Amino acid sequence: MKPKPLTLWLATLLLVLAVGVSLAHITPPVVLLSDREAVLGMTSGAAKFFVREVRLTPEEQETIRQQCGWRPEEDIYRFYFGRDTTGRLVAAVAFLTEYTIHGPVRVAVGFDADGTIRDAKVVELTEETFPWLKPLLDLDFTRDYVGRNSRASFGLSERVTQTPLQSMPQFYGQIVASLIQRAAVLFEVTVVKRPGSA
Amino acid sequence: MYGISLSSLPLSAKVFCTLFMLGIGLGSLAAFTQAATAVGLSYGDVAASLAPEMPMTHIGHGQLSAEKELDIGQLSQAAKVWIRTPLLIQTSHTHLFGQTLIAGLLGLIFLFSSLGEWQKAVIVALPFIGTLMDIGGMWLTRFVWQPFATLVLAGGSLFALGYVLIAGIVLYELWLKQETHR
Repeated sequence: MKPKPLTLWLATLLLVLAVGVSLAHITPPVVLLSDREAVLGMTSGAAKFFVREVRLTPEEQETIRQQCGWRPEEDIYRFYFGRDTTGRLVAAVAFLTEYTIHGPVRVAVGFDADGTIRDAKVVELTEETFPWLKPLLDLDFTRDYVGRNSRASFGLSERVTQTPLQSMPQFYGQIVASLIQRAAVLFEVTVVKRPGSA
Repeated sequence: MYGISLSSLPLSAKVFCTLFMLGIGLGSLAAFTQAATAVGLSYGDVAASLAPEMPMTHIGHGQLSAEKELDIGQLSQAAKVWIRTPLLIQTSHTHLFGQTLIAGLLGLIFLFSSLGEWQKAVIVALPFIGTLMDIGGMWLTRFVWQPFATLVLAGGSLFALGYVLIAGIVLYELWLKQETHR
């Protein structure tokens, strides 16, 4: 028996394993809000709920790309509509996700019938991205986009940029802001602008 | 194997193997808890997380939009994760690397047990086969047939069974079995 080479051999393999796993890891998802909670929270005043699914024309895809630099790739996008008893659209909610290298970041965005943002929330991220976004979530930074529409600026607001933050919170804050903008543009193009769509 | 047996390993190697088994065991428990809380452990939970996201309306090909009334109860109230395809890709590559490396090192230690070759061959294969069934089942559930979600549950169980057998046999031979001198 040659114990020393064996121990060394196993230790080397363990090191390889540890490096491999640490390089290849993905952190588990963190769900902050269920879909139902988000829809109910963003459609106050609605008496009935509807699901609207839309497919983009090539022209609409190009309009969206020009307006916010995003190329929508899904076949179908979904909105949840809240209507009053007369059938009038009160509010709508869209969920959009960005698949970052650290895992998905998903937001819910609520709109008034004219496309004005009435609320926005981060609903899902990962254990790795959560600590980066936590300082911004504590600031309730998505509130800064309430009242804007698809034509507005979607950079981080002054109160956020003036807060001492490291680069990753700012990076992920910008991703969330970009998702809110995409949702706003998507809603405008597929609901507000389509004749008789709302 | 090659004249080396677990019971005859020096103390340092026994400590190494034991702590490795312990670490992997605790990691597996944490992974089990994570799976239970984020996705769920029943067939229905796994299928709901992995099955393709179907249109909720009857939107047809070429149709630009469709709408239907929604019972708000249809929307998920539980904060569970629907594993989107890009996340499935990420999960697959990390788990295939991670679990295969874990199964590899577990198996490497186990190869020095004193069991017969056939028994070793079967047991050492369990974590590998479990991993392949687990990840393969996720893809089959998404793209082929929802009932393949049972493969995910079976694969995870097979990995766990393999780990328990390997850890139990290895720990027994490391610390309780008398060394046989040939």
